[in-house]
Amino acid sequence: MRFRNPLVSFLFWMAISLLYLPLFYLVFQAFLENPNDWRSGFTLKWLIKLFDSAALWGPLLNSVEIGVLSATLAVSLGTLGAVGLSRISGLLPPVIQTLIILPILVPEVITGLSLLLFFLLCRFDLGFLTVVVAHASFSASFVYFIMVEQLRKLDPQMSEAAMDLGAKPTEVFWKVTLPNIIPGVMGAWLLAFTLSFDDFLISFFTSGAGLTTLPLKIYSLMRIGVSPELNGLSFIMICISTFLVLMLVSKEQSRKWVLRG
Amino acid sequence: MKNNAVIPSSAWIFLIWLILMTLLPFSLILGMSFLQRTDLGNIVFAFSLKNYQQLFDWVYFKVLLKTLWLAFGATLSCLMIGFPVAYFLARVQGPMKSIGLILLFIPFWTNFILRIYGIVSLFGSNGLFNQLLASVGAPQASILYTRWGVYLGLVYNYLPFLVVPIYSSLEKLDPFLREAASDLGATRFQTFRKVILPNIKEGVLIGSLFVFIPMLGEYVIPDLLGGAKEAFLGKVMVEQFFILQDWPLGSAIATVLSVLLLGALWLQNRWTSKNQQPQSQELGHAI
Repeated sequence: MRFRNPLVSFLFWMAISLLYLPLFYLVFQAFLENPNDWRSGFTLKWLIKLFDSAALWGPLLNSVEIGVLSATLAVSLGTLGAVGLSRISGLLPPVIQTLIILPILVPEVITGLSLLLFFLLCRFDLGFLTVVVAHASFSASFVYFIMVEQLRKLDPQMSEAAMDLGAKPTEVFWKVTLPNIIPGVMGAWLLAFTLSFDDFLISFFTSGAGLTTLPLKIYSLMRIGVSPELNGLSFIMICISTFLVLMLVSKEQSRKWVLRG
Repeated sequence: MKNNAVIPSSAWIFLIWLILMTLLPFSLILGMSFLQRTDLGNIVFAFSLKNYQQLFDWVYFKVLLKTLWLAFGATLSCLMIGFPVAYFLARVQGPMKSIGLILLFIPFWTNFILRIYGIVSLFGSNGLFNQLLASVGAPQASILYTRWGVYLGLVYNYLPFLVVPIYSSLEKLDPFLREAASDLGATRFQTFRKVILPNIKEGVLIGSLFVFIPMLGEYVIPDLLGGAKEAFLGKVMVEQFFILQDWPLGSAIATVLSVLLLGALWLQNRWTSKNQQPQSQELGHAI
């Protein structure tokens, strides 16, 4: 059946194009000779210049390192939690359910502020490590939910058979459960990496003065004003983010999560 | 083999992590909100409700009213724009459904700062909009660094989060309901007002609350799009931590926002347990 009401489909496409307009203009702007004049003609010189500058590589490297470490931490924690809690039959106690969903539910500002307060009161130095830990603290719960779904699809008889044949619980995990949930683990890792790479607020609160990730760099340039450097960095950030989202959408395990923001 | 009471040790690692990194920090905020601060900025360990009372001082109360009003307007606009979008997605069949949903969400997985910068490039004083105005000789429109900038930023950033709950409520609706209404002679408008609307109003209300409450706590949008003069609750909250060094007051604002959110969650649980499964699962089925 085709969709009948032309007004509704017009409004839908209108809304979608308005959503994309600012991002498309950012891409367009990165190639302008004069970023403040849309008719000034195209050039690659700003982008080429950017590839030689520290403004790109330092923050980009930080973002990638933080993403890799926090995603690995989050996947380890979330998978352990999912494997462990799935052994409990029946519904989880509401207290535990609430605890797990809390980091997803609470607005980022409040998560960021509470972590900042926590780090300051514990007298941790704000910087690389605090950002990694902070990112993992919210993405671990996302990982948990993906892994629970993966485990649900798994045949419980397999691990029972392994145990009957004398495998210890750790052996069952490494030799039977884990190899079967690896696709889920990879999807979850990618989701955690993307969450970390795109995150601004939590990094903003927990990074202290010294550390700059790509979004933080864009933010600090934005406070100064429009510049070719800022436009170039935005363009690169859009490319990487879009690539990551498309990867997530193409994976069955993480697609559903893309649609919840 | 089945053991109900004991939580396996591997799960404890995850749970302890959550307690340490989520529950403890939130409790610190809650605890901090009841403490006091000296004029020099030191924290005094004495229980008081002063921080909550302070929210009703005219200085802060004015900000609160202004924020509520702005977030209310933005939520309403999200509803008006989001409704046709959700309606389209709920009614369209075949692959267009998931393509549409994915199209809607891709921009929201690009970085949040970029979305704001996109608005700045379009509506800033040298932005595309003003360049176009200038090229036809029209006077400049200053949208940015006023409350309209904040409003625009809020609507843009929260739209899909309101589309999803409307969409799931519409999906849950029995298609025969609409057919029955039209068989009985109802016009499209009557069907919408008397059949569809009453059935989805709870879902739409909850969805609106989950957009409205986080909006109140926004910091970056008012900071970057609102200019220095536009006071906003979330901005005031963050500034207590970073600039004014009044952690107890900032914590009190954060606590109020969290409590409001928990209230909305409680309402949602009450209403969905009465009806059927939670929304997330149904969205999963659609894809």
